[in-house]
Amino acid sequence: WGGDGVWPTHTACRKEGLEVLYQSCDPVQDFGLSIDQCSKHIQPKVRIRFGIILREDIRELYLDIALMSKGASVLNYSFPICEVDLPKFSFCGRKKGEQIYYAGPVNNPGFEIYEGKYQILLELYNEKRATVACANATVICS
Amino acid sequence: MAPDASCLFLVMLLSASCEVTTSADQMCIEKEANTIYNCGNLGLGELPNTLPNTTEMLEFSFNFLPTIQATTFGRLINLIFLDLTRCQINWIHENAMQNHPQLSTLVLTGNPLIFVAETALNGPNALKHLFLIQTGISSLEFIPADNLKNLESLYLGGNYISSIKFPKDFPTGNLKVLDFQNNAIHYLSRGDTDSLRPAANLSLNFSGNDIKGIQPGTFESMVLQSLNFGGTSNLSIIFNGLHNATIHSLWLGSYEDTEDQDLSVSMFEGLCEMSVESMNLQNHYFSSLSLATFHCFTHLQELDLTGTYLKELPPGIPGMNSLKKLVLNVNKFEQLCQINAASFPSLTHLYVKGNRKRLQLGDGCLEKLENLQKLDLSHSDIEALDCCNIQLKTLPHLKSLNLSYNQGLDLQNEAFRACPQLELLDLTFTRLNIMAAQSPFQNLHLLQALNLSHCSLDTSNQHLLAGLPNLRHLNLQGNSFQDGNIPKTNPLQMVGSLESLVLSSCDLSSIDQEAFHGLGNVTHIDLSHNSLTSSSISALSQLKGTYLNLATNNIHIILPHLLPILSQQKIINLSNNPLDCTCSNIHFLTWYKENMQKFVNFEEISCASPPSLQGVRLSDVTLSCGLTAMGIFFLTVFLLFLAVLLIYIVKFFFRWKYQHI
Repeated sequence: WGGDGVWPTHTACRKEGLEVLYQSCDPVQDFGLSIDQCSKHIQPKVRIRFGIILREDIRELYLDIALMSKGASVLNYSFPICEVDLPKFSFCGRKKGEQIYYAGPVNNPGFEIYEGKYQILLELYNEKRATVACANATVICS
Repeated sequence: MAPDASCLFLVMLLSASCEVTTSADQMCIEKEANTIYNCGNLGLGELPNTLPNTTEMLEFSFNFLPTIQATTFGRLINLIFLDLTRCQINWIHENAMQNHPQLSTLVLTGNPLIFVAETALNGPNALKHLFLIQTGISSLEFIPADNLKNLESLYLGGNYISSIKFPKDFPTGNLKVLDFQNNAIHYLSRGDTDSLRPAANLSLNFSGNDIKGIQPGTFESMVLQSLNFGGTSNLSIIFNGLHNATIHSLWLGSYEDTEDQDLSVSMFEGLCEMSVESMNLQNHYFSSLSLATFHCFTHLQELDLTGTYLKELPPGIPGMNSLKKLVLNVNKFEQLCQINAASFPSLTHLYVKGNRKRLQLGDGCLEKLENLQKLDLSHSDIEALDCCNIQLKTLPHLKSLNLSYNQGLDLQNEAFRACPQLELLDLTFTRLNIMAAQSPFQNLHLLQALNLSHCSLDTSNQHLLAGLPNLRHLNLQGNSFQDGNIPKTNPLQMVGSLESLVLSSCDLSSIDQEAFHGLGNVTHIDLSHNSLTSSSISALSQLKGTYLNLATNNIHIILPHLLPILSQQKIINLSNNPLDCTCSNIHFLTWYKENMQKFVNFEEISCASPPSLQGVRLSDVTLSCGLTAMGIFFLTVFLLFLAVLLIYIVKFFFRWKYQHI
């Protein structure tokens, strides 16, 4: 029922020369994301808002990030968000079918974004490697 | 805007359900013939006709069933498990489940329930697990209690419940799990828990409820399997409220997104007045950690202080003789001695995983832990010269040691002499520097499993694996061999007791025919993700009845003399090899069809050549190769010869005939 699975491109933030656009790459559904502080100087512990329906249990949840610039891969990173022996966030352990609204910090370090256009592929998945969320994001810094 | 969107959604759903009733029947996925089916995410408006009446487990989530009644799933009289997550269910009518006597699990998560009839859940003889997560429930009276006497778990998370007081006639006697996560429960009173007293060994989850008060005596003399108050900001309320309770496992951790008070000494006073075996305080911050903090911890058997910003534990904590398991993962120790392990003399399990600073192992920091059986020091950025006898001084009972995902270790002969009882040693992704001809694992007489994957080993060292008489499982994934070849003399010959061997992703292009001599006990060998050709199969001639993984290699043609070697193995994975499907490989192709039961993952065993058959499954290929090229050549020559002969005979015949006219 997602048609051909092409979801609209949303704006997660646009301010002070920084623009973050994203599009769900999960053929089954879209999700909502906004980033509270939008600036070239990313502060540590940025607050986000995130809304999604879970298609899978998330007792374990992992995030893969692939950063590309000018078609070249710059960074690949994998990060555990929920583990059985360390549920970092209050939503860890929620079940399939639950609707999640998260408004709070993400555990990022502070850093500077250099001018340019970046492509980021973000994928959230559980211990069975089943997709929980997938996003194609574009960051434009001018 | 929201109503618009939902209307559109509804229209999409309805239109989808009209279409799919005809075509979607085939789209349910059969997980197990006649019994287990997945019809999730299909936008179905009713039960597909093709689903057999014998179905026992049905995954029907993310479909569209506004109303559930007796006829909805009526013909599936053998249903044991029914998942109706997010099916937009509003109504569950009278006797909706009456045709399902075997039903034991019903999942209704994420449905906007308006009303569930009094007799809706009647029918099942023993309904054991009921999921009512995010169904909009605000009162426990909403749940029809008529047929819940066998209920073992009840999930009520994500609702608007503010009181856990069950109606008088609600049967709670068999409950084992009662989950109230993420509700609006702020107060617990004595009367609330009265209805739960008949349940033995109950697990109660209040995580994500901001508990502001517990009436004294609420949990008085209750015995609970586990109790979870995760994310609660004020722990003294909890400790005081649990006066005189017996709890096997108490989870009081905090999260990165919850705000909580720093833990002070006085908060834990209530812990002296209750009995707890295992306690988790993850992600809290101790405002001042002193000996007094642990005053009421003395009866604990397990303590989890993951991510509690600890730089050290104070030395000489008295009375911690009961503690068996201590988890100190994700803290900020600089040296292992800062945990002052001598305070915990009975410890059998110690975890210092994912330390946020480079952890120095120091000198004999754990030597007082005579009973330690399991030690996890993985992901802690450890770097150690001349490891590990000084660092792990006298751990006579250590059975399991995890040093994986660290920086690097210099190992010399008998590097683990300090822990002679080791049965499992994990060094995955830790760079090992081992001098030539040294045998670091010597004298680990009881070692059964050794993980050396991605350790940058020097595999030309013949003595690398010497002195491991009982080693059964060895993982060498991601190490390299000189010239991509395992030679005749190699470290594996020292470990004749091996049962499973992993050599995947080792950049191998060949294996000497005698490389695996002496490995007669191997039952599982993984050679996947290399560049091996079929000639390496000769090296397996000694092995019989193995699980053989040759996936993702460079095997084209398997000649007839290698087939007996494959025949004597039990299970073979040949997926993702560039197999040849021409007549040059006919012997293997024929043999493959006769032995298909040996192969796993055969969807991915396909041809790479000729181009016309590229990607075709091997099982779908039928070749007729009656004649070889040579044969055709000889046949043509023979026929030509015959033709010439015939012409001559005819010529002679006519000449003779005309001569006699």
